[in-house]
Amino acid sequence: MSDVISRQQLLELVDAWIAQDKRAIGPVAVGEDLHLFMSMSDSGQLAMEGYIRPQNSIKEFFFPRHEKIYRYHFKGHNIELEDVEPPATEQLIIGARPCDAAALPILDHVFNWDFKDEFYNQRRNATTVITLACATFDDNCFCTSVGLSPAAEQGSDALLLSIGDDGYEVRCLTDKGKALFEDKTQSSEKTGEVIDGPEKKFDPEPIGDFVRNNFENPVWQEIALRCLGCGVCTYSCPTCHCFDIVDEGTASGGARVKNWDSCQFAMFTQHASGHNPRANQIHRQRQRLLHKFGIYPEKFGAILCTGCGNCMRNCPVELGVLNSVEILREAATRNTGEGK
Amino acid sequence: MDNVYKPELMEVINVLQHTADVKSVRIRFWDPAATEKFSFRVGQFGMFSAFGSGESTFNICSSSTWKDYIEFCFRKTGKVTEILWQLDEGDTIGFRGPYGNGYPMEAWEGRDLIFIAGGIAMPPIRCAIWYALENRDKYGNITIVYGARTVGDLVFTGELEQWATHDRVRVVQCVDPGGETPEWEHEIGLIPHVIERANIPAENAIALVVGPPIMIRFTLPVLDKMGIGPQDIYSSLENRMKCGIGKCGRCNCGPVYVCKEGPVFSLEQIRNLPNDY
Repeated sequence: MSDVISRQQLLELVDAWIAQDKRAIGPVAVGEDLHLFMSMSDSGQLAMEGYIRPQNSIKEFFFPRHEKIYRYHFKGHNIELEDVEPPATEQLIIGARPCDAAALPILDHVFNWDFKDEFYNQRRNATTVITLACATFDDNCFCTSVGLSPAAEQGSDALLLSIGDDGYEVRCLTDKGKALFEDKTQSSEKTGEVIDGPEKKFDPEPIGDFVRNNFENPVWQEIALRCLGCGVCTYSCPTCHCFDIVDEGTASGGARVKNWDSCQFAMFTQHASGHNPRANQIHRQRQRLLHKFGIYPEKFGAILCTGCGNCMRNCPVELGVLNSVEILREAATRNTGEGK
Repeated sequence: MDNVYKPELMEVINVLQHTADVKSVRIRFWDPAATEKFSFRVGQFGMFSAFGSGESTFNICSSSTWKDYIEFCFRKTGKVTEILWQLDEGDTIGFRGPYGNGYPMEAWEGRDLIFIAGGIAMPPIRCAIWYALENRDKYGNITIVYGARTVGDLVFTGELEQWATHDRVRVVQCVDPGGETPEWEHEIGLIPHVIERANIPAENAIALVVGPPIMIRFTLPVLDKMGIGPQDIYSSLENRMKCGIGKCGRCNCGPVYVCKEGPVFSLEQIRNLPNDY
């Protein structure tokens, strides 16, 4: 037996949420072959399935691309600071993919080790994440290579599994999920199908060992020469979380803001003296892959990648984590070969 | 809501110009309760705000034994420091911190201390010098080697004279060849050479070396020759930071976040870091 909800009921649930002046977020078709997670004004915009996944991720609803952290006002020689609270509005994210939701426990570590970023935490607490298990995948998907799967539950409050035209099986995973679907589901004999997912394409552990032990290796140049340094891989990644802190204002005052930043940009690490530890794309590509497979796992025990494939699909030169890993694996084989 | 990014407001109580482009600024909390609560370790750093321009990372260059105020020192070199350059007494700036690990002053007790600073790197060592002088009986001989390109580039020169008058303290000042004036009475030469000539007893010594990478690179072999082991040589890394608290993602050297696990490392630790600094 399972709990199911019809498509119609699900859309009604979303509309009821919006009617309470709360924010509903879901994948919306914004162009040909372009879906984006965005705020919806009614459930008619919700495009749950029929494509692989949105080109962005849900991280921006917890860690916005631009966020005021306080305001400053000039009063003669004095300065006044004014607190800025993140909007208290409850958020419902519906139709997240398992590779989106699984990024949340990963981001939780970053924003809470030692110092707690309450802007992130407040949004996280105010958000219910309803994930749709994947019924399809493409060549760029590799969730199974990083320990996830098309029906992975990490980070979700409830998981929906399609039962065809009849709607979805609902698996509530947290109190937030239960609260949302309370009295909204029916018992049914039908259960959602869980697909096998993409074939496992690599083992992250030897990749981690390789990136940790090959800081100086010609392979980084091989990867970097293809890279344009545009940063789209980091912006569309569910787990990338680097940011800048800058002031935006006028002569009377302004706001200090957190803006998304990217390890792929030269200015990211450039000192005031002009010295730059990561002076070229070789160093910057190395940092990105080292962070994902070496540094983050060492610090927090998980891989900084959910295998969503956004970095592959969005890259203008077909360079993403998956084919970078392929290049690293070849280099690792060469290394071993040389050792013999 | 706790806001880890929000600074405390501080009043500028003194500004000292050291060179054509270096100033140090003394600040205290506008809120006396914040002064009461505040403490730090020498070697720690803060994020200093010039509102409207942003935040920059500087070492707190005053000693942790001075309770009513802190000091920082900077070179006018970018957007934030251009604004800090214009500060006057009574002005307000922002401060977050202290962050980072600081110098292991307790572990250095009973040892001779050799402080080696190049150029604008005197301030991050100055805090440790004052700390050691104020806890004089805990440390052995203190040697301070300070060099800059020219006489006009030396900072905290008044304090150099003051330190030299303390018991068991030797101050060696130098400028690069060509950087001397007719009145210059001290050493002429590059820091590594000057150290070699100075016959500093190294048997029981800790060396703290801060300066431009090129100076550090040529100084380390000299210290090695003197017999100071990598576990007894320390430095402070200066990677670019925005948050200072391990989130913004840019100051790491491999798995080590300089803002949280540094900025102070022994040479032994630095040698185990990937070259990302």
